[in-house]
Amino acid sequence: MTSSNPKPERVRLASGRKDLRELIQTCEAIREHKFNPFFLDVALAIETLRKYFPFWGSLDDHCLDAQTINDLAEVLNLQKSQLRYQSSALYTAPEMLDKKLRTLSVKRLGEIFLKSWHPIVEREQLTVEGAREGLRYWDEMLSFEERRKRLHLGRPAPPTPTDLDSLVKSGIMTREDFAKNLRRLWEELQTQTKESGSVDYWSFVRRDNYQETVQRAYYVSFLLTYGFAKMARDSTGMKLAWVETPTGKVAQGMVSYPIAIPRKSEPEVVQGTSM
Amino acid sequence: MQETSDEKRFYSDKLKHAIHLLLFKRGKMPGAKEWELKASLGKNYKEVVKQLDTLLSDFDLQVKKVEPERPQNRPLAEGPLEESTDDARYFLTLRGTLTPKEARLSGWRIDNLAALTVAIAYIVTKQGKAPREEIEKLLAEKAGRWKTLTLLDAFTRNGYLKEDEAGSMSLGWRTSSEVNLRDLMTLLAETGR
Repeated sequence: MTSSNPKPERVRLASGRKDLRELIQTCEAIREHKFNPFFLDVALAIETLRKYFPFWGSLDDHCLDAQTINDLAEVLNLQKSQLRYQSSALYTAPEMLDKKLRTLSVKRLGEIFLKSWHPIVEREQLTVEGAREGLRYWDEMLSFEERRKRLHLGRPAPPTPTDLDSLVKSGIMTREDFAKNLRRLWEELQTQTKESGSVDYWSFVRRDNYQETVQRAYYVSFLLTYGFAKMARDSTGMKLAWVETPTGKVAQGMVSYPIAIPRKSEPEVVQGTSM
Repeated sequence: MQETSDEKRFYSDKLKHAIHLLLFKRGKMPGAKEWELKASLGKNYKEVVKQLDTLLSDFDLQVKKVEPERPQNRPLAEGPLEESTDDARYFLTLRGTLTPKEARLSGWRIDNLAALTVAIAYIVTKQGKAPREEIEKLLAEKAGRWKTLTLLDAFTRNGYLKEDEAGSMSLGWRTSSEVNLRDLMTLLAETGR
């Protein structure tokens, strides 16, 4: 290119750099397996390089040219690998295989694998060296206090006695103990069944407060399990009956019967009970 | 006569030692490296390994050599050992294959093996490397999204697949050692004809 015609040279150089960068990007995409290596026409790419080579003057342009050649060489290598692979017995048309992998049943795929699988036979055991390593680790391990210091957590708070209020607050205990609650409910059941002999399960269990309903259902399940109450189904629903002389033991042949406790506009909770 | 007896005794000890080396796992990977066998069994270790391979055939087992640069395994019966490198690893593998009933012995369920088949075959068709997302998408059709993620992690942990930093998956050392890819791809191609 002569200096008498500078404008076309600038245009050529700019479009040349653009072409080379596009080639490099395509080569990168092929290397990352985004495209088939034969997607790129290497002959055309070489022709492009030849076309612009006489115009490169700066070091950067020559580096760009060298990088393109290098990337094209890698693509050629991938093309060679693909040809070799396609001529080997491992080659199956990807579209056909893709279809098969999607349509074959899980069982059939598993069977195919088993016919070509020769699993390694190995034996794992504790070796003397493994035991030594374990001992070494144990000896070198810092104490709990030392490891805690590394985390800068400071000294842990010393244990302090707790009281009923904090236990109730954390939900570990209730103010009334379990046996008292059971007895109270059993007596309530006795009162309600005095006249008719039985009471509807839901009218006995359900309360305005959902938490209380679940709690009552939970206690009723214990009354049934340990023979303090009986449950039977009739045409109107499930009935609870008071037992005058409870056994206090789990009766033989009982079956677990889940009862869902629905809550208005909320998912159902399932309460397990025994009958 | 005495010489023959000594020779037999010599091989018997070496065979025992060889099977110990191959069977008992010492590090992260099972089997033994070629240099380990050479150091433990002496310069004629290849003969010892060959004799062991012959003996094990009665139990449907074989000694398999896997070279690091070669993706496919090579049973000893298929070729000479002269070109070996010290980095090659020897394993004890099943000579034959397992039936679907016996497959449970391996600890893998048949549906998990099917997922492994899909992953391996897909990677092979992509010439050894495929993006993890593509494999996940394909597997999720059969196994579901969450199970697919767990399975791919399990396959990677066990050495059947490996994943690079760019998120591409390729075949792991265990696939190279245990799976006859040629048979697998042929069977897949033949099925459904």
